[in-house]
Amino acid sequence: MNETENIFLSLINQHKAIIHKVSKMYMIDAEQQRDLFQEIVMQLWKAYPTFKGNSKFSTWMYRVALNTALVYFKKDHRKVDKTPLNENIDVIDTDDSEAKEERLAYLYKAVQELNAVEKALIFLFLENQSHREIALNLGISEVNARVKLNRTKEKLQFIIKKNGYEF
Amino acid sequence: MNFDDLKNDWQADQSSEPNISKDLLEIKQAKTPIDILRKKMKHEFNYQIVALILMAAFPYLFGFSPQMKLIFLAFYAITCGFTAHYFFKFYRFYKNSYDMTMDSRKSILWFFYEMKLNIELYKALTYIIAFIWMSFITVYLLIEKTGAINRVFAKLSPTYILLNCFITIVIIGVITELWAWYYYGKYLARVKKVVDDLDDE
Repeated sequence: MNETENIFLSLINQHKAIIHKVSKMYMIDAEQQRDLFQEIVMQLWKAYPTFKGNSKFSTWMYRVALNTALVYFKKDHRKVDKTPLNENIDVIDTDDSEAKEERLAYLYKAVQELNAVEKALIFLFLENQSHREIALNLGISEVNARVKLNRTKEKLQFIIKKNGYEF
Repeated sequence: MNFDDLKNDWQADQSSEPNISKDLLEIKQAKTPIDILRKKMKHEFNYQIVALILMAAFPYLFGFSPQMKLIFLAFYAITCGFTAHYFFKFYRFYKNSYDMTMDSRKSILWFFYEMKLNIELYKALTYIIAFIWMSFITVYLLIEKTGAINRVFAKLSPTYILLNCFITIVIIGVITELWAWYYYGKYLARVKKVVDDLDDE
């Protein structure tokens, strides 16, 4: 293995959670998540020579990962399973880490009803990016990023409520 | 729902998946719509080469006269010329790399216009080839089947013949558009949807 590969693998392994999260946001099926994950890793590797270190590696990764996910073409269009994960779940009363996992599992399920751009907005918001950073990553104005994000958050809340899950 | 709590949960969730190995850097072909389009166009290019080779045998298969062989050769050369011209453009499209590090809007617009341009080129080539060979068949019928053509012309009115020509052209157009849509259009529509969602204010 050459040195460039070693450095690249070390960098993406430090930030592999980003790729996993993008894959789970964009694909609900485990096999398709794996395919998208591989696709993102490959696109990152292809684009790596353009990484000059002017920005943080994670910032650069966000762009490549999201751009790949935005145009990724899955083979079949499976219907989104809209049934609640568990209708009797009472998040407040369960063990904290279990409740967190449950909330995230439900989030991943709910975001499947958003379009590709809305998924990108929610992803960047959850990654703690400011409106300005979201706008820069998506190539839209800051005002547009704010408006779109607010609309997407409302839509997500509606989806979660509609499917009978509140947290 | 509290988005701040959700954000905290999200950020606390660090992947427990195994590390990414070198093998993943050497996998299969990319699967972006551009890559899928390139792969399909490469297949079509191969089919077209086979079709051109088979067509070279037509004068012998159909027993063309020496005069008809010369006319066929002229049409064949024009077809090869157009095919070479367009496939040179497709080859450049095939080899042209893309930049995934631009902002999403720029990156997706690049994908969209690159795909649209090449689908239009593909359609243009299909029209050109269809019309070249329609013309050849017309010339063939006029020269080799003069008697039969004269009998048809005597029975049918010029308006009816013109109408048939027009309908044939429309059918070629519809088939080309439908084929391009079925084969490539869904990828373009997918990217167009993302462009529209990004631009929607």
